[in-house]
Amino acid sequence: MKPDELLALQARIQPLLDDPEHAGHPLREVLGEVWQLLEEHVERLDRLTHLSDSFQAMARDRERGMGQRYERQLRRINRVVRISDHYQRMLRDLNTQLEEASYRDMLTGVDNRRALMSRLQQEVQRSQRQSTGFVVAMVDIDRFKQINDAYGHEIGDLALIEVARALGADLREYDACGRWGGEEFLLLLPFTSLADAHGILQRKLEAIRALEIPGLALTGQHLSISAGLAEHRPGEPLTLTLSRADGALYEAKRQGRDRIACAAEPQ
Amino acid sequence: MNDLSIPGTQSTPAIAADTNAGVLRMSGESYPENAYELFAPVFEWVEAFLAETDRPLLIELELLYLNTSSIKTVMDVFDLLESAHQRQRDVAVRWYFDQQNERIGELAEEFREDCTFPFHVIGK
Repeated sequence: MKPDELLALQARIQPLLDDPEHAGHPLREVLGEVWQLLEEHVERLDRLTHLSDSFQAMARDRERGMGQRYERQLRRINRVVRISDHYQRMLRDLNTQLEEASYRDMLTGVDNRRALMSRLQQEVQRSQRQSTGFVVAMVDIDRFKQINDAYGHEIGDLALIEVARALGADLREYDACGRWGGEEFLLLLPFTSLADAHGILQRKLEAIRALEIPGLALTGQHLSISAGLAEHRPGEPLTLTLSRADGALYEAKRQGRDRIACAAEPQ
Repeated sequence: MNDLSIPGTQSTPAIAADTNAGVLRMSGESYPENAYELFAPVFEWVEAFLAETDRPLLIELELLYLNTSSIKTVMDVFDLLESAHQRQRDVAVRWYFDQQNERIGELAEEFREDCTFPFHVIGK
């Protein structure tokens, strides 16, 4: 019941109840009780409404608070994930760089021994699958120690860089050229006969002779290399191929350097 | 409240808190087995410093790699600073990084987002 209606009713009933003329009338007593009951009910209804409203407000506030907290946490999680991803990307890139560095010879920029070994092992497997060989050329700069001693390590380093560049130039996509160690280089020539490899190395020898290394050129000296070739036979252990190439290199040196020697076929 | 001095390891940062100076320093890698255990004393120290003193607080960081739980803990510490800053406390962060490694700087910038207190990312 609206307050106005209640007040209007009260304005009509109260005078009737208060009027002494109606005292003792049976209806007066009943009306009084009904009026009191109504007042109590209205009051209780008010209280209930008030309680219910406050509960609703509280629930709404709490929901809003939780909503805000949830939003905040969600934002936080997104940031953590984003930053974490960023860190992981950084680590992965560093890994890639590290891996690249671990396969490269720092001075000359060509493959290092680790990279060559990995390529050689791949070639051995391929050769086994396809029953085709490949040629390994072990290359060594002649009298390198004397160059180092006479002209200093800087010229020696320059010689290494230039030889690496010349050896690596004009190779086929599937060939590999790297620094095996010290002044020793290795060429890996797949799908190549020993005779063809000999031709390739012959051109390399000429290219090295034509190199002009400052310092060396002044004294009319030129660089030269010796090379030992060995053809890998399917099923042959890699170490044997390498040691045959080494043996051939030794033979080239023994015969007077600046030349190529080929290893005999394995027994 | 006590100062903190936790030596760094290969996977955890060196942590030093100087109550008199109002400076907390952390440097190194952070991918601990249990980040909450490692950083709990740090968190408590910052909370205590902010509650028990009214002096300025400076946090100096030179962190490299942070794993995910470390990222979350560092953000929690920044949250403490942020609410202190809202109460007009003098708080600041300086995050140093090697200029050779710019990406660490970028990551520090990402941490700075949402922080309204002074937060300097300094290449050196």
